[in-house]
Parts: sequence; structure tokens; C-alpha cells
Amino acid sequence: MKQKREKINKYIIVSIISVCLGIFAWWLVTDGLEIFRSNVLPSPTKVLRTFGKKWVETKPDGATLLQHLGASLQVALGGYFIGALIGIPLGIFMAWNDKIDMLVRPVFDLVRTVPGIAWTSVMVTLVGIGFMSKALVIFISAMVAMVINSYSGIKQTKTVHLWVGQTFGASNWELLTKIAIPSALPMIFTGLDVALGASWTTLVAAELLASTRGLGFMIQQARGISRLDIVIVGMIVIAITGSILSAIIRKIGEHVVKGARLQ
Amino acid sequence: MKKVYEKYKRIYWGVLGIFIFICIWYAATKFTGFGNIMPDPITVFGGFFRSFVKPIGTKTMALHILISLSRVLVPYVIGGVLGVIVGVLMGWYKLADAILMPYIQMIRPIPPIAWIPLSIIWFGFDESSKYFLIFLACFFTIAVTTYNGVHSVDDTLVRAARMLGANDRQLFTTIVLPTTVPYIFSGLQVALGSAWATIVAAEMIRSSEGVGWLIVRGQDVGNMEQIMIGIVAIALTGLLITTLMRVLENKLCAWTVRGK
Amino acid sequence: MSEKKNVLIEFRHVDKEFNKPEEGVYKVVGDLNVEVRENEFLVLFGPGQCGKSTILNMVAGFEMPTRGEIICNGNKVERPGPERGMVFQNTALFPWLTVMGNVEYGPKMQGVKKEERRARAQKYIDLVGLQGFENSFPVKLSGGMQQRVGIARAYCNEPLVMLLDEPFGHLDAQTRYLMQDELTRIWQAEKRTVIFVTNNIEEAVYLADRILVLRNCPTGVKAEYEINLPRPRNYTDPEFLRLRREIDAVVDHTL
Repeated sequence: MKQKREKINKYIIVSIISVCLGIFAWWLVTDGLEIFRSNVLPSPTKVLRTFGKKWVETKPDGATLLQHLGASLQVALGGYFIGALIGIPLGIFMAWNDKIDMLVRPVFDLVRTVPGIAWTSVMVTLVGIGFMSKALVIFISAMVAMVINSYSGIKQTKTVHLWVGQTFGASNWELLTKIAIPSALPMIFTGLDVALGASWTTLVAAELLASTRGLGFMIQQARGISRLDIVIVGMIVIAITGSILSAIIRKIGEHVVKGARLQ
Repeated sequence: MKKVYEKYKRIYWGVLGIFIFICIWYAATKFTGFGNIMPDPITVFGGFFRSFVKPIGTKTMALHILISLSRVLVPYVIGGVLGVIVGVLMGWYKLADAILMPYIQMIRPIPPIAWIPLSIIWFGFDESSKYFLIFLACFFTIAVTTYNGVHSVDDTLVRAARMLGANDRQLFTTIVLPTTVPYIFSGLQVALGSAWATIVAAEMIRSSEGVGWLIVRGQDVGNMEQIMIGIVAIALTGLLITTLMRVLENKLCAWTVRGK
Repeated sequence: MSEKKNVLIEFRHVDKEFNKPEEGVYKVVGDLNVEVRENEFLVLFGPGQCGKSTILNMVAGFEMPTRGEIICNGNKVERPGPERGMVFQNTALFPWLTVMGNVEYGPKMQGVKKEERRARAQKYIDLVGLQGFENSFPVKLSGGMQQRVGIARAYCNEPLVMLLDEPFGHLDAQTRYLMQDELTRIWQAEKRTVIFVTNNIEEAVYLADRILVLRNCPTGVKAEYEINLPRPRNYTDPEFLRLRREIDAVVDHTL
């Protein structure tokens, strides 16, 4: 056992060395030997400096990093929450009622094969560039993921559990709310996580395409003037924000579904 | 009579559902103001089929779809093969895991679409920038699912193989690989979906052909019919490739319970 | 049964400890000294979590003793090997291989030529009564049939000793009785040294040449019984019942 722990430590050290070497190689080909110019590959120090400066500087895209981040979060979370609010009940309803399921499922399966981003054109044409079109696109992406997961969560309810409910004389409504939904909770939280990822990705795409604010807009603008340092800073912020949001949802999920991990 | 209904009720209700959906769409465009901005379904589907003979832009629909698919195919295959190799290496050799995993964990949270500006700077506007994007979209997903597959190998099966005299190499080919195959498949499916979404986005941002271009071109000139035709094309092609993958999976992983 | 048979496996002062994160060192096996004779059917019988499987895993070479050593056929056990065949409680069949594929797996790994290993596998498939199912996948078989495959697979490697870790633990009572008869028949047809682990007292008396009753952790031999009843045995035979009672009185009963 002790030997094992030492082994694990050894590999962590290898990982750290590996990352350090990677960063060193990055530095070497940029600042060190100046093989790549900063409009092809900015050096790690330059990226770091830009990352520090962008919190206060509005150049060249008219807003600070925090303002872009705020704008992105506002749209993403807005669309996401409405999508969850409608998607979860819809998925539950579809799974619980056979007729509705058979009626709606094929239409839904057709709609969900369209990537969320493709709806951008429709929404922009319908309501114009702005908060609304992006929020609608994200709403669709989030809702699709929510419906799929809460649907399969309900479908996975153990028949035995429903029988137990029936022997106690539970009504259809009680079976749904007391047995099916609680047992579907883990899947619903998986859905919330997946939907969040989908929202965030779709948001970035929508901002690349049609926007005047936000992280996607920022990296697209920086691309136009070959400010690669800003592009990379933007990508890093996008990645970190996505990871943090997902971690929050997972933490909440762990709290809510404590006992139901028995799947 | 009842038996026939039981057997075909899914199809019956499904067709009914699609029919109702189209009717509502039709009624909304004919009898409300919605019709001013949205073409009715007959126009859209008619336009979709017509576009196979009458070109949109310089190409017919079949060509647009094929161009988009070919942009996915090449980097998908490369990303898939490399992803499986790297995933297996990381799963099997602790050292490879320690060296490569930090990079994968750092790069994977970046959505493939966020690479678009960078890919344009590095590779310009031609095909190679799209290949780069799709490669990223596929490689990381497949590498990680393969890695998880290698790690999901059942301990007692390893013991059983050891007990029966398998050496390291045999353990790998007869136990680890078969266990990993279903994981690789689910990775391939997820990657294909994400590759398809990414190529649509990439084409919307910069392209002069392909299904993504179709809809963004429609948006630029305010042609809702063309947008909807593009969406129908994206939906049907997406449906086709996911169905193909599922059929393939059932063929190749017949032994899993899931495959039945 | 002759008493002066060769000793095949020997436990010499075997200790086994596990490190548990919260409780610290946890001793599972303490100073175990056992000799297993060639071609005997030895049953290790003891209460719930008393470390029976750990003993078997150490013979198989999956786990190493903390102290002491296990000698099998003159060699110290250091790793799993084909001379020690194991039948697992959860069968551990390879789900992607057919019955034939599972049974011929051992010889295949040894590099035995295809015709030869097919013939050998067929022999053991016939022996366990699975002819006709050669090309079925394990998921298609019932629990009892799956365990027959497990037995055939271990046998097909022609090991010196067969280790059976509660192989019928997951089966229903009827199938269990049937499998006990089948195992007796197979063992009588192809004599091997068998170490069989169970927590079922009837099963122990029904199958064993010799029973070692194990105590609770840290486990060791608490009592030893030679069972000289003629085979096939009968569960309601007075002598059988007397032995059953006698052993039952010795066991550490725990919840």
C-alpha cells in the first residue's frame, strides 16, 4: 500500500514535469528563439500579460474581459434556465404518457438532429441580432438536452418500485411525483450538466456569428486584427467558465440526489 | 385487428404526430402573421427536393451535403484513429497517462467551435482550417472514451485471463481491447454528432459552399425559405449518419446486452 | 481413500493483512498452516466474511501473503498460473466470446494448435453437459449453464488444482443441488485436487473428502473433519445429518 502511494506521487511529478516542459517549449519557440511571431503564436508571457490587462482595458473590442464574460453569462444562463424550465417537464410528460410519447417523439427526434447553432440563422432573421436571438438558440439547445435526459430518467424507473407504489394505493399522479421523478433525479441532473455544456458551446458559436458583445465576439474581433493573445485569453476564459459552471451543477446534483446514487 | 394495432401503433402515432406538426406549421403560415416571415412546409419541402436539380449558389443540394460530409470525413477518420491509439496508450501505460492527460484535461474544456478564430489565423480560409477543427472535435472525445474503456476492464476478467495463462500482450488483445470496443463506439458516435455541429458552425462563419453556408447565405439575403431548406438538409443528413452508426454498432458489438 | 497421498499444496505460516484507510491494519488470515493432498476434495467452510476467498486468491496468485508462503507442487506461488484453475463466484466468463471461445481460451493462450485445443475444449464441454451450446454467447445462458462453462474453462487448462470460490452462491436452490451432483460426477470422471470455498454447510458435507472449518477474522483452521460417506451422498442420511449438526455446533455464528 505504501509502495502504491509512492508510485502515484511519482506519476504526479511526471505530470508536473510534462506540463512545465510543454510551457517551456512554448516559451522557447516564441520569446526564446523567436521562431514564431506573436501574430502566429504569442508567447506565454504575452498571453499572461494580456490576460491581466484585459480586465481593465476596453481596447480593441470596446469592452473589458469582465463585461464580455458578464454578457456571455447573461445570455447563456438566461436561455439555459428557460430551456430547463420547459425541457424538464416536457421530457417527464413525454415519458409518462404513452400516447404523447408516440405522438411527439418522432417530431422531437427530427428536430434534435439539427445542431443548435443552425437555428441562429432562423432566429436572426426572425428577431434580428441581439440578446433575444441568441437566447432563443441557447434555449433550443438546452431544452433538447433536458428533454432527452429527463425522458430517459423517467423511462428507467424500476417497474418494481411502481408496483410497490401501486400496492399502497398510490394514484397515477402520486406514482409520478413520489416514485418516478425522484428516481429520475440523477438523470435529470445529468441533463442539466449536458444542457449547460450545450448552452455554453452554442453561445460561443452564436457570438462568433452574430453579436456585439461577449467572449465569442471578443475572440472573433481579435482574430480580425490578428491579436492572437486575446484570442487565446478568450479561449482560456471560455474553457474555465464552462468547467466552473459544470462543477457547480454537479455539486448541487450531489447534494440533491444523495440517496439516489444506486443506479 | 387489435394485434395489428399493437404492432404498428408506434408508426401510426408517429406519422400522425409528424402530420399534425406539419398541419400546425401550415396553418400558422396561412392564417396568421407568421406567414409573412416563415414559408409554409410545402414550399420548404418542395424547395428542398427541387434543390437537388436546381442549384443553390453554384451547386445542387447533393453536392452541398457531400461537400460538408467530406469535410467531416477525413479529419474524423484521422482524429478517430489517433484518438483510439492515444486513448489506449494512456489507458495501458501509466507513464503515457501522466505525460498526456494534463494536456487533454486542459484542452478538452475548450469547445471546438471556440477554436474557429485560431484555426482561421493558423490555416487561412481553406479546407485545412476546417479539417483542423473537426480533428479537434473528434480526437479528444474519442481519446477520452477509449481511455475510460481501457480503465473499465473488469478486474475479475483480468484475473480469469491471468489464471488461464495469458501474458501481458495476450491480456491486452483478448481482454482489454474487446472491453474497450463499445466505449470506442460510443465515443465515435458522440464525436460524429459534435463534428457535424462544428462543421455547420464553421461553414456558417466562413465558407462558400456546404449546408452551413446554405443557411447563413439565406440569412444574409433574408431568404427564409433557403434557411429552412438548409435546416431540413442538416436534420436529414444528421439523422442518416447517426442511424448508420447505430446499425454498425449493433453489428460489431453483438455480444453486449446493449447491442440487443 | 488412502491417507498417505502426496501433499500438493502447502500453506506455511501464512498471514494476510489489508490496510484499511480508516481502521488501519486489518488482519484477515493469521498463521495458516494447511496441507492439501493430491486429488482430494477439500472444502473450506466458514462464516460470512471470514477470509475464505482471500485464502483462495492467495493460492491462485492474485494476492500475496503478507508473511509466510504457499508452496504448490514444489514451487512458491508468486503469480497466477495455468496449473491453478479458478472458478469464480460471478463466473467471470468473457462476454464477447462464445462458450467454445471461453473454454478454449486457456489452451489458446498456451499456443496449443487449433484442432487440438478445439478437440480438448469439446471434450470438456461434453463433460459438463453443454453440447449444442458451443456457439452461444454467455448472456444467452442460464446461471447454472454459465457456471458449467466456468468449470469447463478451468478444467480445459488441465490444472493440477481446481479452486472454486463459492461457485454456486448465486444459483437458486434447485440448480444448486443439481450442480453439486454435476460437480461430483465431473470430479469423479476427471480427478483433480479441488479446493472448494462455501458458506453452506450442506454443500460442504455433500461434496467434501475433508472439511476445514474456519474461524472468524483473523481466520485459521478451527476444526477439521474427514468425510468418509460414500458417493453419491444423501442429504437425509442419518450420518450426514449427524455430521451436519456436529459441524454446525463448531462454527462461529455471526451476523
